[in-house]
Amino acid sequence: MDKTQTKSDRDFSHPQVRTENLNLYYGADRVLQSLSFDIPRGCVAAFIGPSGCGKSSYLRCLNRMNDFIPGARAEGRVLIDGTDIYAPDVDVIALRRRVGMVFQKPNPFPMSIYENVAYGPRLFGVRDREVLDETVRSSLEGAALWGEVKDKLNTPGTGLSGGQQQRLCIARAIATEPEVLLMDEPTSALDPLSTARIEELIRDLKSRFTVAIVTHNMQQAARISDHTAFFLLGELVEYGPTSQIFTAPEDKRTEDYITGRFG
Amino acid sequence: MRRLVDKLVTLVFWGTALSLGALLFGVLGFVAHRGWEAISWDFIFEPPRNGMTAGGVWTPLVGTLELITVSMGATIPVGVGTGLYFSEYAADSLFTHVLRQSIRALAGVPSVVFGLFGLSLFVIFLGFGSSMLSASLTLACLSLPLMVTASEQAFRAVPRDYRDASYALGATKWQTIRKVVLPSAASTIITGVILSIGRVAGETAPIIFTGAAFYTPGAARSLFDEVMALPYHVYVLATAGTNIQGTRSLQYGAILVLMGLVLGISSVGVWMRARLNRGK
Repeated sequence: MDKTQTKSDRDFSHPQVRTENLNLYYGADRVLQSLSFDIPRGCVAAFIGPSGCGKSSYLRCLNRMNDFIPGARAEGRVLIDGTDIYAPDVDVIALRRRVGMVFQKPNPFPMSIYENVAYGPRLFGVRDREVLDETVRSSLEGAALWGEVKDKLNTPGTGLSGGQQQRLCIARAIATEPEVLLMDEPTSALDPLSTARIEELIRDLKSRFTVAIVTHNMQQAARISDHTAFFLLGELVEYGPTSQIFTAPEDKRTEDYITGRFG
Repeated sequence: MRRLVDKLVTLVFWGTALSLGALLFGVLGFVAHRGWEAISWDFIFEPPRNGMTAGGVWTPLVGTLELITVSMGATIPVGVGTGLYFSEYAADSLFTHVLRQSIRALAGVPSVVFGLFGLSLFVIFLGFGSSMLSASLTLACLSLPLMVTASEQAFRAVPRDYRDASYALGATKWQTIRKVVLPSAASTIITGVILSIGRVAGETAPIIFTGAAFYTPGAARSLFDEVMALPYHVYVLATAGTNIQGTRSLQYGAILVLMGLVLGISSVGVWMRARLNRGK
């Protein structure tokens, strides 16, 4: 896949992720209630809200990781680049190649740093050593980790510090050139310094990817995101430009939450 | 008073652990002491001679190695495959539950029953005759429950995080299993293999009816030859030899060789496991 070509093909006038009347059920429980909103291309969208509000569940709808939860069922439509990812004929494997994910706890594979990053490309059948070398290098550079690991690419990824491991996971996720990058509280297990580095990285990444990030940390949402969605009890209470959500929220519940009255 | 109890309990557990160690080294020491004089290069590399009252253990040693190889060739793929099925594919249903419990129950079946089972299935019904193949397959059945249980535990111990990461990168289930789950579980599976080999190498009852020979002039050359095996050889020397009293040292020497063999194979396994773990 040629990077420059896909970039120029991108249409910045349409939303990258359009959610239309999405309901998610775990068995009989409705955990997401009729969500409808758009995430524009090339922006960082932050999802905030108290624990159990459905923000992580929503994130996992976008790459259909909820499929692994027994009894989970989604209704409604999620369009990524205009394609409904819940249509019956959708290839979930292909979808996950377009929508990368970084998890809460850094989870590098028990393999070398190189093999961690090369994992995705190898899945798609990239065998050429030179191409892999180049992908590994550019992905690690993209994740701001190259300088620290370039001399030890063959050492285990699990030997890195927590912050480095999380950047390795980001490198692994961007090595497959996804269009959307999902991040599920990516800094909640990290120290403040590592958190700052990842936040800086996320700001850089949005030039290449649309980023959807779940965070417990409202300051973080305010610092790094362009749009913020506030979830409460499975409902999208308010969604809009981050500056507006944090300075002039329209809903009383949003205001109460961001001013620390609950949550 | 409470501290006294604490000390006493510590002492009791320390004592049990120590007595176990003492027992192990007692057995080893006893066998080594009795068998040591028989051990020499000739003893290992020569076949038994003069109605098994002289010579060495080469033929049964090779036979045991053959049995281990063929039985592991059957046990490892079937055991790992079944473990994989239970851990990754089987639905959490009554059928799975019954199947799993049946396999656990098999582990408790006396080995002589496996011998009779092997006799009727492999030797008679399938017509393999009394042969190395029948004996190996019987031993494979015997070690399967252990192998299945060990593999299933190994696969279950692979963190959910790894699988999530793999699926999120667009891997299929099989790619995830092959590239992440299997390698992560390999070192625990090797432990299962070591235990299985130890079990298989020392069994007598299952092979008596299925392929072990009282005496053969040379090692088995095909899967359908009868085979001499170290544990059965020891049994023969101890109970049915031509000169039981006179061959005591041969008997202990053979036991020593058998223990050395199992120890040697286990060491290779431990070394392999250490190598695998280094990559993590």
